[in-house]
Amino acid sequence: MPDMSAIVNPQQRQFNPYAENGGTILAIAGADFTVIAGDTRQSEGYSIQTRYAPKVFRLTDRAVLAVNGFAADGNMFVKKVKQRLEWYRHAHAKDMPLRAIARLIQTMLYAQRFFPYYVYNILGGIEEDGTGAVYSFDPVGSYERETCRAAGAAQSLVQPFLDNQIYFKNQTAAQGSPHPAHLPLPDVLSIVIDSFTSATERHIEVGDGLEMYIVLARGRTLPDAVAGLRPQELPSAGGEKVFVLKRDLKKD
Amino acid sequence: MFLTRSEYDRGVNTFSPEGRLFQVEYAIEAIKLGSTTVGIRTPHGVVLGVEKRVQSPLLEASSIEKIMEIDTHLGCAMSGLTADARTIVDHARVTAQNHAFTYDERIKVESVTQAVCDLALRFGESVHDEDAMMSRPFGVALLIAGTDELGPQLYHTDPSGTFVRYDAKAIGSGSEAAQSELQDKWHSQMSLTEAQVLVLRVLKQVMEEKLDQHNVQLAQVTTDKGFHILNERELKEVIDTM
Repeated sequence: MPDMSAIVNPQQRQFNPYAENGGTILAIAGADFTVIAGDTRQSEGYSIQTRYAPKVFRLTDRAVLAVNGFAADGNMFVKKVKQRLEWYRHAHAKDMPLRAIARLIQTMLYAQRFFPYYVYNILGGIEEDGTGAVYSFDPVGSYERETCRAAGAAQSLVQPFLDNQIYFKNQTAAQGSPHPAHLPLPDVLSIVIDSFTSATERHIEVGDGLEMYIVLARGRTLPDAVAGLRPQELPSAGGEKVFVLKRDLKKD
Repeated sequence: MFLTRSEYDRGVNTFSPEGRLFQVEYAIEAIKLGSTTVGIRTPHGVVLGVEKRVQSPLLEASSIEKIMEIDTHLGCAMSGLTADARTIVDHARVTAQNHAFTYDERIKVESVTQAVCDLALRFGESVHDEDAMMSRPFGVALLIAGTDELGPQLYHTDPSGTFVRYDAKAIGSGSEAAQSELQDKWHSQMSLTEAQVLVLRVLKQVMEEKLDQHNVQLAQVTTDKGFHILNERELKEVIDTM
């Protein structure tokens, strides 16, 4: 007698091609700079896979991309974006402008509409007009330009903090001194560092290391307060400058 | 010509022992039979002008279309087998729209010119056992005018798929006389109006008929207003100032 139980009692099997690898990313635009940051922990459930898996990548002299979600998809996506940027450079004899990269990322994400890259992207850098810019994306390519955005595991912890500190939500300006549209670089860096140390305290998937990319508009230099932190300058063709600032975060 | 014909005249993808592709050379000859077409670049924009050969008094001159829009910032004028140009312009338009769709920016003039020239070399191209999509080289040359971040530019393309940038260029039957006139009269600080007048003067010199607003067509691509074909009233105004 064959085993009939499989027919009598239907069984369901599933394969899940996705994983959620934790971590958080964040970007804030200033008037003539942008800061793009991410922690370096990569985890699955309660296990830490590695304490150093970068989530923030320099694309061009004026564009930096942060990717959060499913790490394998994220790495593949960044690889494909970089390939498209190189093709564009060969075809059009120039680096792709930030706004064009933003649109390209949308078309690349939407091309996978029915098997999406399981990633949230935040693109930061300097626009053609020299202003700092942040573009944020959902996994299928909806995007908008913003002043600041947090994404990932601790988005729900960090974004309200940024809304308050960057957009001055729930703060009333004193008579005759309206809130500024953009903060200076030292203030922004302090907010970024505070965001990540706090997220590390309250979220198990955030920690280990912090990488902050600073993109400066053409002709601008680092303020002394920031230069004193000794950020590493990445090689560029002149014009816009890119710096990396690394910090340790708690490893527990 | 008939005396020198050889077996190398036939195949579009066979070099002669002297290293020539006769069909491509003949295609370039076809352009020299076409009506004269002139383009001039100025710091403010590019002016294009064509002669319309009105062969019969019963022909509607306005139905002859030798200047076409590629995108809001790109236009082209043609000489030679104008029917071939429709295929090319269609390809250029698709390329420009795809670029705008993917990158949210206007395509560069050189990039759209490169795309056109890639297409020009597709003749005689066929995979094993498949028919070639295009059987012969295009018999048309284009003057592609446009503006981008590098300013106003004028490109010339021919059936061999070569493209070159010019300050001023004439193609078609009267091109030799027209080109030497352009060489004399062009200067780097021309105004748009000066360029319009020069285009018409050059065309007038090489045309057999008397030039009027029916047998020429003028267009311009400017930095602020983009591509624009002058209507009969605007054209008449320029003709009157000649």
